[in-house]
Amino acid sequence: MIELVHLEKRYKNAVPLADVNAVINDGEVISIIGPSGTGKSTLIRCIDLLERPTGGKILLNGEDICAHGYDVTKARRRMGMVFQSFNLFGHLNAIENIMQAQIDILKRPKKEAYETGIELLRRVGLGDKEHNYPDELSGGQKQRVAIARTLAMDPEVIMFDEPTSALDPTMVGEVQSVIRDLANTDKIMLIVTHEMNFARSICNRVFYMDQGGIYEEGTPEQVFEHPQRDRTRRFIRRLRVLELNIDSPYYDFAGAGTEIDRYCMQNDIAPRTKYYIRLAFEELTSHILRPVLDHVPVLITVEHSEQDDKTAFTASYGGERFDPAESGDGFSYKVLQSTVSTLEYHYDPNAEHSNQIKILL
Amino acid sequence: MKEHGRYIKTDRRMTAALLILLLASAIVFLSACGRRDEGITSLDQLDQPHIKIGVATDTTEFSIVEKEFPKAEIVYVKDLMLGFESVAQGKLDAYVGNKLNMELAIKNGLKGVRIMEGSLGEGNVGAVAISPLTEIPDLKEKLNEYLRQIKEDGTIDDIRERWLVKQEMVMPDIPEARDPKYHLTVGTTGLSEPFNCYVNGELAGYDIELAKRFALWLGASIEFKTYDYEGIVAAALGGDVDCIFANLYVTPERQQTIEFSDPTYVVEVGVMVQDTGSDAAVKSGSPNDSREESGSTGFLDSLKESFYKTFIREDRWKLFAEGIVTTLLITLLSIVFGTLVGFAVFMLCRRGNRVANLITRFCIWLIEGMPVVVLLMILYYVVFSQTKLSGVTVSVITFTLIFAAAVINMLKAGVAAVGTGQMEAAYSLGYANNRAFFRIILPQVLPHVMPSYKSQIKSLIKATAVVGYVAVQDLTKMGDIVRSRTYEAFFPLIAVAVFYFVLAGLLIWVVDRIEIRAFHRRRTGGNTREEV
Repeated sequence: MIELVHLEKRYKNAVPLADVNAVINDGEVISIIGPSGTGKSTLIRCIDLLERPTGGKILLNGEDICAHGYDVTKARRRMGMVFQSFNLFGHLNAIENIMQAQIDILKRPKKEAYETGIELLRRVGLGDKEHNYPDELSGGQKQRVAIARTLAMDPEVIMFDEPTSALDPTMVGEVQSVIRDLANTDKIMLIVTHEMNFARSICNRVFYMDQGGIYEEGTPEQVFEHPQRDRTRRFIRRLRVLELNIDSPYYDFAGAGTEIDRYCMQNDIAPRTKYYIRLAFEELTSHILRPVLDHVPVLITVEHSEQDDKTAFTASYGGERFDPAESGDGFSYKVLQSTVSTLEYHYDPNAEHSNQIKILL
Repeated sequence: MKEHGRYIKTDRRMTAALLILLLASAIVFLSACGRRDEGITSLDQLDQPHIKIGVATDTTEFSIVEKEFPKAEIVYVKDLMLGFESVAQGKLDAYVGNKLNMELAIKNGLKGVRIMEGSLGEGNVGAVAISPLTEIPDLKEKLNEYLRQIKEDGTIDDIRERWLVKQEMVMPDIPEARDPKYHLTVGTTGLSEPFNCYVNGELAGYDIELAKRFALWLGASIEFKTYDYEGIVAAALGGDVDCIFANLYVTPERQQTIEFSDPTYVVEVGVMVQDTGSDAAVKSGSPNDSREESGSTGFLDSLKESFYKTFIREDRWKLFAEGIVTTLLITLLSIVFGTLVGFAVFMLCRRGNRVANLITRFCIWLIEGMPVVVLLMILYYVVFSQTKLSGVTVSVITFTLIFAAAVINMLKAGVAAVGTGQMEAAYSLGYANNRAFFRIILPQVLPHVMPSYKSQIKSLIKATAVVGYVAVQDLTKMGDIVRSRTYEAFFPLIAVAVFYFVLAGLLIWVVDRIEIRAFHRRRTGGNTREEV
């Protein structure tokens, strides 16, 4: 069992882990997902003590392995890590890669180490590659040898740091199936991955990491089907978001136009959709919401879903009720309404932004 | 093994190419000797604006040239033999210097030059320089008293007659003082025939006989140390020797830094010019002058003669052998200690200890930023001046430092090339830091650094050529010593170059053997694997 208590990792100019709390039981397989730079890798690297946490505790079966004076090497022996870049030892062949640490660390006799090694190589489907050096193996084969090397040490916890990210798409499957095979043991497995389908199918719990911690967690079904929180939803549905906060009447509208262009280019949005986004932005800011802009800031949000190629355009603003259908530039409103698929207005006096115009392009 | 073979082959090919280049340049030089043009027949002809006259640095001859030939251009020449050779090749129109040296050079077979009739009078005054730090009381006064005595009883005339006039080159047997009161350490160069040079492998000459006789008179045991002219005054100032018996000229600049005895010798200044006439053979007096012949036989003959003079006469190969042993000793010890020290320091710095890293970086900066000669001189004359460490020891220390700095940089680069991923993988398997380094990182670093390690060895053996500055007689110094007797400008130099090639090749061969033994399997990438 692993318990993370207020785990924190700070660098001079970034805080990947602000406050992480979790309890992971034996036999659990956990997928860790989230956008880049949200501390997924940092989390498992902290657990393996490759990075020293700057605060909090990591309890491995009740022992605080971060405690001052705790033997780091001893803690690491109970855990294993599979790296994105494999990190096979370049001077050793496949079987030696698996045998070396067994002999050096576990003090197994050479023969036993070899037998364990060859059995594991067969298990990952590489029984005939024992004498090959890493530079003679494909990426997928290297990663399978690396997994065998980790398994040979009988770790209680196995961590995978984006195990398939460095692989050719044709090799992802072979590595995933090996990992899937391991999921039925009583070992704890923590898998950082960007492969959503793999993440969903292999685990029994998902950590969605964002904003310096575990932002949302649950069963794969909960997280993937019914994400509760905004960022999770955006990530799962692969929403690409552009936010423009128009906070003064002298806002740089020309600059905003450029930003929309860049956003569309980066996310490969069709020219037609881009035209609609710009149209909606112009009609709203220069005509429909003109009277509002003088009093309160308006937040424009564009969400583009890569999954179903749909784009939503939202304008939110505070202040009193202002329904563009009733007040403002009626002509522009009609033009806009006729070009988009839906245009809805909501008023909720208790929300942060009481007025919201939602447009589906 | 395949790779290994290729290295060696490349080495040999390089060696061969360079040898051919050297020989070709030697041929060009030698054939240039045959060039003719209008000769200089009278001293007046030298006083022209386009005339170039060579004089030795650190002498007073330039003032004579300035007075006699005010219009001519003065060229300072560091090496006597190269100065003479320049005259023979026509690069210099004349050379003004010690007439005795010129006579000896021609007697020893220097061709294409002649000495002008007449003399420019007396020039430099040679004397004994006295170290300010000598422990022998009143050394200068005692020496002057001795010089007065031998002048009166005619001993000095006898010595002068034998060495400088008849040039017998025979050292009389002078006994050492019994129950010595003092120990006299004498600095000399061994490069200046007939004053102090190597005859039959032993120091001999006018200065040497004087020094030995003086020691006997003084009741002192005597010890000689040889330096290059550039380093000899520094040696006396640093207290490394008590006095310098090296026909050292008394110049105003030198007088400001060091004290001199009364004169022991006065130079007769002569003028050497290129020989253009057919009477050259008669004047140079060499029986087998083959300059008139042209083609390969002449070249081969002169090569044969050079070889004989350089190696066979007076068993001079023994000097070379001695030099080779010294060079090898310094190089080998420096490689061994440098590797050990470099590795140890790297291990201390590896964990990122800030203080250790800072000190190491500073030391490497210091060592790498200085010319090797400067570092050597500073260590010998400043840092270890009080310790009485021998020149060889200080040389080994110097080159150990230099090699260690190179080893540290090599290891740093090698470890960086292996990458942090390997270390992390080792950590996550449960290796402790040092164990991971030795079991996982180092075996991968070594093949990376071996090529640059070998090239460092080659650089090192060449760099040791400067140890002559601290009284060590290495291969280069022995070459100079022989050259100062044979008056050959190039043959001994080329011979020394060949020896360096051979020594470097030998060392690399040894390292290759060790390398193959250490990594019994050579990983060279690709699909072909060969087990050794």
